[in-house]
Amino acid sequence: MTDDTDIESPDLLAAEYVLGTLARNEREEAEALLASDPNFERLVRYWERRLGQLHAMVASVEPPPETWARVQARVDGAEPSSVMLLPHPDQAARVAAEGNVVDLTRRLGRWRQAAAGLAALAAALVAVIVTAAMNPEMLPAPLRPKPIEIVKTIEAPAPANRFVAVLQQNAQSPAFILTVDVATRTASVRRVSAEQQPGKSYELWLVSDRFPAPRSLGLVGANEFARPTLANYDPAVISGATYAVSLEPEGGSPTGAPTGPVLFAGKLVEAMPPGQ
Amino acid sequence: MLSSQELVWLLAAVAKGDRAAFERLYAATRAKLYGVVLRILRRADLADEVMQETYLKIWNSAGQFDPALSSPITWMVAIARNRAIDLIRKKTEVSLEEESNVLEVAADTPDPLAKREMTEELRRLLTCMGGLDEERRRLVLLAYYSGWSREQLAAKFEKPVNTIKTWLRRALLEIRECLGA
Repeated sequence: MTDDTDIESPDLLAAEYVLGTLARNEREEAEALLASDPNFERLVRYWERRLGQLHAMVASVEPPPETWARVQARVDGAEPSSVMLLPHPDQAARVAAEGNVVDLTRRLGRWRQAAAGLAALAAALVAVIVTAAMNPEMLPAPLRPKPIEIVKTIEAPAPANRFVAVLQQNAQSPAFILTVDVATRTASVRRVSAEQQPGKSYELWLVSDRFPAPRSLGLVGANEFARPTLANYDPAVISGATYAVSLEPEGGSPTGAPTGPVLFAGKLVEAMPPGQ
Repeated sequence: MLSSQELVWLLAAVAKGDRAAFERLYAATRAKLYGVVLRILRRADLADEVMQETYLKIWNSAGQFDPALSSPITWMVAIARNRAIDLIRKKTEVSLEEESNVLEVAADTPDPLAKREMTEELRRLLTCMGGLDEERRRLVLLAYYSGWSREQLAAKFEKPVNTIKTWLRRALLEIRECLGA
């Protein structure tokens, strides 16, 4: 195609988010970015301020009187702790950094108990994640990934089918956004800021304590979108897994297990929770 | 409606948990917000639901409002529109029949503007939008006022979705260039 379809940028994603023309899954991606990327938030605020002027031309309509009573009831019923405010990105990153270590350490513990069944490469991947989170200098240089942080934006209170994960190194640089529909077992990966590296490919892995080794979900990042299938996994595995992206030789891992450094990782959180 | 400065004071009071200020804020803004969400949702029950969520969010996050970054009413309208659009995206995905009903609804031009609402910023935006070609201007306005997705706009304009996406993005780039930072 021509450059027509090439005008793709965070600025235009923010603009279309504010305008309201994005499809549901893209809105979810934009909302995940909004909660995790201060630069993206700035773009959204810019467009809100500019396009938001258009509201002045909408005719006012009186809502029914009952609406105020319902608003008050909602406010009365809202415990401060039940409010799902998105955390400030800095806080999110801090919380996530701690959560990440604890979670993955616990995961590693569970895996060690099942050591007999463990494939060496799975252990290697977990070790890479944990070591990277705690002490990257311990790794040999080629394996040394940049710090991984998992940003947990929202705890999911209700059964949900739609989840989103921001796969990133730090709060300033989300690399991929993964959205998952558990009901249909479909997923979409949007490349946000991961840069193409010559002679290398990014490969997406599903890491679950239900499997002895990470499972490849295919290559991502060559195009703006990739659509991995999750048809082989049940919903509990899909929603509980950690998703990690490793840097592999061009065309993907030759062994079927991650061989390169794990650059980005994240867990799913519920997309667009009700009443947020 | 109250002046922008009065709304800023009310939001500051609401941030401290002042229920009386919250009631005054609601009284001053409810008709504008209801007008915005009703236009997108076209159903009173859904609009009512979105109003509750919107004001709950305003109550909870009034402290995050920054008068240096936005005007109070623009901030509140953005919250309401986002709630309404999130809801309509879920609904149309569930029921295609509903979607076709939405598509039937003619998109009228927005109502004439009360003079005192014509801010300098709005004047600049409208000048820039005046520079877009007719069809793209309609596209942007329809998207803003009716909350239509690219797919819905594609059906309405009888164009492929990718064409609509390109038009939208070109229009937004032109607007941005015209407005400057």
